[in-house]
Amino acid sequence: MYFAWTIKHKPKSLSEIVGNKESVQKFVDWVKSWEKGIPKKRAAFLYGPPGVGKTVTVETLANDFRMELVEKNASDYRTEDAINRFAGLSSQYSSLFGGKRIVLLDELDGLTGTSDKGGVKATIDIAKKAQCPLVLIANNAYDPRFSNLRNYCLLIEFKKPPAGEVMKHLKRICASESIQADEDALKFVAQRSEGDVRSAVNDLQALSQGKKRLTYEDVSWLGYRDRQDTIFNVLRMILYGRTCVSAKQAADMADVDVDMLFEWIYENVPEHLTDPHDLAKAMDALSKADVYRGRIRSAHDWSLTRYVIDFMTAGVAMARQNTKAHGWIPFKFPARIQMLSRSKAERATQLNIGHKIKRKCHISAYRASKEILPYLKIIFKNNVDMAVGIAKWLDLDPEMIEYMTENKEKTEAIVKQLSK
Amino acid sequence: MSFEMWAEKYRPKKLDDMVNQKEIVERLKSFVKSRNVPHCIFAGPPGTGKTTAALCLARDLYSEAYREHIMELNASDERGIDVVRETVKTFARVRSIGEIPFKIMILDEADNMTSDAQQALRRTMERFTETCRFILCANYSGKIIEPIQSRCAPFRFSFLPREEHDKYLKHIAEKENVRLLKDGLDAVFEVCSGDLRKAINTLQAAASLNKPVDAKIVYSITGKASPADVQKMLEIAMKGNFIEARKQLRDMIQKYGVAGSDIIRQIHTEIFRADIPEPWKIKLADVVGEIDYRLVEGADEEVQLSALLARLVEVGFELGKNA
Repeated sequence: MYFAWTIKHKPKSLSEIVGNKESVQKFVDWVKSWEKGIPKKRAAFLYGPPGVGKTVTVETLANDFRMELVEKNASDYRTEDAINRFAGLSSQYSSLFGGKRIVLLDELDGLTGTSDKGGVKATIDIAKKAQCPLVLIANNAYDPRFSNLRNYCLLIEFKKPPAGEVMKHLKRICASESIQADEDALKFVAQRSEGDVRSAVNDLQALSQGKKRLTYEDVSWLGYRDRQDTIFNVLRMILYGRTCVSAKQAADMADVDVDMLFEWIYENVPEHLTDPHDLAKAMDALSKADVYRGRIRSAHDWSLTRYVIDFMTAGVAMARQNTKAHGWIPFKFPARIQMLSRSKAERATQLNIGHKIKRKCHISAYRASKEILPYLKIIFKNNVDMAVGIAKWLDLDPEMIEYMTENKEKTEAIVKQLSK
Repeated sequence: MSFEMWAEKYRPKKLDDMVNQKEIVERLKSFVKSRNVPHCIFAGPPGTGKTTAALCLARDLYSEAYREHIMELNASDERGIDVVRETVKTFARVRSIGEIPFKIMILDEADNMTSDAQQALRRTMERFTETCRFILCANYSGKIIEPIQSRCAPFRFSFLPREEHDKYLKHIAEKENVRLLKDGLDAVFEVCSGDLRKAINTLQAAASLNKPVDAKIVYSITGKASPADVQKMLEIAMKGNFIEARKQLRDMIQKYGVAGSDIIRQIHTEIFRADIPEPWKIKLADVVGEIDYRLVEGADEEVQLSALLARLVEVGFELGKNA
């Protein structure tokens, strides 16, 4: 079962928070000031863009100072009544068991007009009377709705940490997951995240799934995607789409071309549609999309693309009948695209050998590389004498010989005999 | 054992050496006798002697200096219209010096020429008939445009019959001091189904292990695409592990360069051997046939074949339910 790294590798102590040293210190000082009595501002308002560590700062502080954290966030209803009930908790500094308490109202941006009616007003009331540290968190503290509330709060801004800080965090994660990651690969992921540590960690997990080594090549495709409508969202809309229209719309949101989107869907279908019937239907839809791709090529008619899209999006979405959504399954980068780019150099060598074979064997270089080369590889691996004879006859260079033997010592032995 | 490529070493040099395609060879000999050759299309599956026949014809016609009078072009590598305009025309227009007034242009794998190039070729063939005769080799004559077909004498090459195939391989094995066992020979025929080039390459690769050649070695040679491997992939799918089965498929295609058509042919064989209810076999054969056709049309091999694997996962699941 997959376990999200954003949770698994969440900082456990304040010292592990990525960046924002001054803001964290300001917050710590404020909490400590409660020891000497109730401070002027009874609430701290932490604000800043997503994924920069606001919530985790509060959580690790509670952990470091052994405080009891009482939390409400967007998933709870926050009408006036609900918050007032919650207010009771903040009327005491010490909890039932003698520990100190800290109260957190997270995702305040989520307070909506109708269902969380009166929520802001109730929050102000608590902020006025709180007997323990009250922490509020929102992306934008300067939303007009909060103008009155701000007067009662110590405002603490969290900024996007610099890429270097994000990178250090990614490095720690790689170390504990025993992944050998290239410096420039991590740098790329960190820079792409633009300070959103959470998304950087998510990206890292998706990219390095099942790998022991992470190279720049593995991550560079991230450059294709926009941070707004990430390919992950698009995939989610397709693989978990309930209507044909919504699945089809996802294709418009994607900023990769149709063929690349096809690869993404094709790669990720089996892990997200696990029921055998659903899987067969989804793969069948993809194979039909592929048939239309072929028809576009042979008829030179691009208008047929709409049918490719129909099958690869709506066709896949409608395949889901029995599979239940369970847990968080990360999306993976299309492995066969990686394989293709990695084997590009390999295929160039294959074709070069193909040209050598062509000169002797009356067959095209392309077919030689497909139909004759595999046999030569077997010969070169098993029989040095025969390899020497054939290498001489075909006039192969050492690089080609090494490609065939896949072994340095054998290559040397063959080259040595050749030079005699 | 000789250390060159046997498929070339044992390629027949003269029409008289050619063991198979008897009727074709007789007609070609009559061309040599009359010292005249029409434009020809040699059509047939790979490894059945098309290129060899063309080369033998040339050698019989021009004797040892034949190289000066022929040109071999490979349409898979050079298939654009420019090649026809430049290379082919330049070669075709210049009169040959010698007693035979025409040269021979061998266009190999001609079914891979673009249709534009074929249109251009049609003019060239007409204009320079006096100075150049064309032999087009192709797997499918259907992919050659009508106007060219109508200008050519058609020759249809077929797979080697079993006895000819066996005779030829035994002959090579004897010359090369290789012990070729009966089941090894059977395996070669099963894997290569009469494609002689493939058969000889298989034999040589097997012989390079310096052991008697038996079925096990042959299958391990054709290795990455041996029946056992496809069988394993199908088994994995039937057990419900689609992701692993697709990975195997991907390796076969990308790492080992096995053609999708080869894989599907083996799947077709395996389905009728598989331990599944009889009526399902014919249902699956229908799916396989559809996919085979799509591949011929140029669909993506991995995508199509993995759709088939997903069907097998479904079959395996249903079987498990009934058991």
